[in-house]
Amino acid sequence: MKSDKQTYDERHNQPQRYEIRIKGHLDDRWADWFEGLAITLEEGGYTLLTGPVTDQAALHRLLRKARDLGMVLVSVGPARPGQADAPDVE
Amino acid sequence: MPTAILATKLYVPPPRANLVLRPRLIERLNGGLSSGCKLTLISAPAGFGKTTLVSEWVAGCGRPVAWLSLDEGDNDLACFLTYLVAALQTIAANIGAGVLRTLQSPQPPAPVSVLPILLNEITTLPEDSVLVFDDYHVIDAKPVENALAFLLEHLPPQMHLVIATREDPDLPLARLRARSQMTELRATDLRFTRAEAAEFLNRMMGLNLGDADIAALEARTEGWIAGLQLAALSMQGRSDTAGFIRSFTGSHHFILDYLVEEVLQRQPEHVRNFLLQTAILDRLSGPLCDAVTAQDGSREMLETLERGNLFLIPLDDQRQWYRYHHLFAEVLQAHLLEAQPDRVSTLHRRASEWYEQSRLPPDAIRHALAAEDFERAAGLIELAWSAMALSYQSSTWLGWVKALPDGLIRIRPVLSLGYAWALLDGGELEASEARLHDAECWLDTPTDKMVVVDKEQFRSLPASIATARAFRSLALGNVPSAVEYAQQALELTPEDDQATHIQATSLLVLALYASGDMEAAERSLADFHTNLRKTGDILTLIGTTFLLADIRVALGRLHEAESSYQHSIRLATGLGEPMPLGTADLYRGLGELYLERGDLEAAAQHLQTSQTVGEQTTLTDWPHRLCVSQARLKEAQGDLDGALALLDEAERVHIRGPLPEVRPVPALKARVWLKQGRLAEAQRWAREQGLSADADIRYTREFEHITLARVLIAAGRSDREAGSLDEATRLLGRLLQAAETGGRMGSAIQILLLQALACQAQNDLSNALPPLERALALAEPEGSVRIFVDEGEAMRLLIEEQSRDRGHPLSAYADKLLAAFTQPVAAPRTPIIHHDSDMIEPLSERELEVLKLLRTELSGPEIAQQLIVSLHTLRTHTNNIFKKLGVNNRRAAVRRAEELALF
Repeated sequence: MKSDKQTYDERHNQPQRYEIRIKGHLDDRWADWFEGLAITLEEGGYTLLTGPVTDQAALHRLLRKARDLGMVLVSVGPARPGQADAPDVE
Repeated sequence: MPTAILATKLYVPPPRANLVLRPRLIERLNGGLSSGCKLTLISAPAGFGKTTLVSEWVAGCGRPVAWLSLDEGDNDLACFLTYLVAALQTIAANIGAGVLRTLQSPQPPAPVSVLPILLNEITTLPEDSVLVFDDYHVIDAKPVENALAFLLEHLPPQMHLVIATREDPDLPLARLRARSQMTELRATDLRFTRAEAAEFLNRMMGLNLGDADIAALEARTEGWIAGLQLAALSMQGRSDTAGFIRSFTGSHHFILDYLVEEVLQRQPEHVRNFLLQTAILDRLSGPLCDAVTAQDGSREMLETLERGNLFLIPLDDQRQWYRYHHLFAEVLQAHLLEAQPDRVSTLHRRASEWYEQSRLPPDAIRHALAAEDFERAAGLIELAWSAMALSYQSSTWLGWVKALPDGLIRIRPVLSLGYAWALLDGGELEASEARLHDAECWLDTPTDKMVVVDKEQFRSLPASIATARAFRSLALGNVPSAVEYAQQALELTPEDDQATHIQATSLLVLALYASGDMEAAERSLADFHTNLRKTGDILTLIGTTFLLADIRVALGRLHEAESSYQHSIRLATGLGEPMPLGTADLYRGLGELYLERGDLEAAAQHLQTSQTVGEQTTLTDWPHRLCVSQARLKEAQGDLDGALALLDEAERVHIRGPLPEVRPVPALKARVWLKQGRLAEAQRWAREQGLSADADIRYTREFEHITLARVLIAAGRSDREAGSLDEATRLLGRLLQAAETGGRMGSAIQILLLQALACQAQNDLSNALPPLERALALAEPEGSVRIFVDEGEAMRLLIEEQSRDRGHPLSAYADKLLAAFTQPVAAPRTPIIHHDSDMIEPLSERELEVLKLLRTELSGPEIAQQLIVSLHTLRTHTNNIFKKLGVNNRRAAVRRAEELALF
């Protein structure tokens, strides 16, 4: 799951942007739960969670949250440019 | 102070009254149990009915069940092991008592080292039983995962392990599958089938749904049980179930979200509020919920929720404690965050206050941190330190303190000190110094900014800081400054602070011991013992006796060593059962003293007693020491191969403790090799250890250097080259000086004897006799024999030479030594067995056959296969063998059988 690009980003301390796709349409209330990731509903009953993820440890934490809600994980990967994003919260 | 055990974590959930029976799954689980599988793994996401299924299964499996519901706190290995023992004690009251005491002793060993002891005790359980770990996915700490892997690897056949988890555990699953050692149920197996869904919806929940509706619900939820339960709740009492099913099955909503929303909307407002506000709690009780919601009547509310199937699970038979189903709680918390974001910290603070009043500091701290009320948390964490430090849970404590803002810690000297100690325990030596410095600053310039909650600890702060620095210096190998700090700590310790006093003294003794200043070490420890007798702290006295005796042996004061052993044995036996920790070491040490005096029979008897006592309750580094002592006995009996085998065993069971290693096993092996004439191997040992005749002389390496001198003398004898003998002479001269400086007469005698042998090897008799004479004079009052006899024939010839002068005051002693040389040295074939009767019942042919296989690496099931018997029959055989041999585990049986020459 570790692309070259991502290693590069981690080396430069830039949080890598990820997208996590799960099955089912999520209510907006889960945005806080998923630490400010943007929630986009997709055709066919999927939800895309997109946003900056500090590092691998933070990514695994997000995945564990999805697991603990019994969510079905469809895909995880670096976000494509141009994806919707959560507003930057400084 | 023992950790408070939460009984709710050990509660075996009874099978629910209205339950979809799942015979197809129960049969598979039972099949695994009866075929002798060691593990059942139930691995599926949340809401698939794992806990329900396991509780239904174990209720009917006919075996006693130990159940442990894990939580985040169990990522602390000591905590995990404490709960593991507590869970096992629900099926065997006395199991693991020694292990618990060991984990909670002032200087606990590495927790993982108690597992073998626990496993041995499991082998003594009279009937087959089941051990369940529920919610194993919360574990992500490597030490705990390793402990589980070790447990499974060595699980005795009478124990079956069940793991329920949302995430596959870190175990060799492929291998377990390949060897059919595991029954496995996964999400696919657990999903409700159409028939099960129908039974649940219509029979259990009283809905009267048609086949099409059931099919639609089953398809939409994909048999996910939590989804079907929520759907059923949403439909109960609804007139328009068809409409509900249409909207639900037609929506793409995340099922959990959709359905919890439905369920919540159907509740009256006061119920909905109660659900949201109490969702922050891991466990719920009436009084706790009253405190959190600031209302009365929670107990009745909880009973109502349970009756209404609102995902509330009882945690005991008295209906005192409950928890929400994890999934339900997660969603409720998300709703709470959305609806009342500013209430959350208030709710946590109320929970924290309630837990504090109920004397449950860990929960009080967790909720204070969750409330982000760091002031409050810091105070609670400070107060929790002394208890947690004693129960070996500093890693949990460290996790809490690291969650605090740094500025808050730095104005709290007692908290900073606890932080420093916790870092030291975790081996973070550098980080700890900064924290000690923070604590110290307040001593020099106290201002009103300083915050102290634990006044008692603050009184001892100067002494504790010095003690921590002594510990740190010792860990860094800086012995002189360790001595200095420990002395400082003793001067600073308040009169009545026994705990700090014990800690500081132990460190001082260890530091003096490591520096080789045995006279000073002996003085401090002897004073300490006088003080312990005064304060009546018999347990610490017994636990530290073998160290005092060891030091006295090093000083060449065998009589004093013996009397301290005898005195402590009297104290220990006076206390009755169970023997205090460290008793086994008293018999072992006394056995070694008898060995030194040449009384092999008494030595063997005492080592045997040590083994019997030690198998009941023991310090974890004792097995290593016992193996070394037994090896020395074998060596004295002339069984050199047996000695080497025991030394290998000693290496295998070795656990690093706080004591410096003064008799490293590789050096002991090199000594035996020299006796066997295996010079090349001994030389290789010296090379590998990087030893040389001109290296720095440090006490901690003295034994190795003396052994190196032996290697050099042996080389000189064999190649007639003066070079290595000169080296030996040079090294021995320096060693002698160091030993005399530290008052270590025991070492000095050894060195003098080697000087004599080195001269003898050079045919220089006139220079060989004076050191021998000195050695005889030093050893005679204490009656040492082995130290001379160990050097073999060359020494005998020298002593003969020396005793030509019949008028010599030492000639009677020399005669005694010469007699000891000519004693038969064959190992006695009849070991002494401490038993109710001295007659042991002979083993049958079949039992002997089993015994031979026990000696191999084969597992129980593999042995059963080889003998073509069932596992049950094999167990009957092994139990009979153990009984006849008076042991309680496989390894001990093999060793006892070797002693009895049964192979």
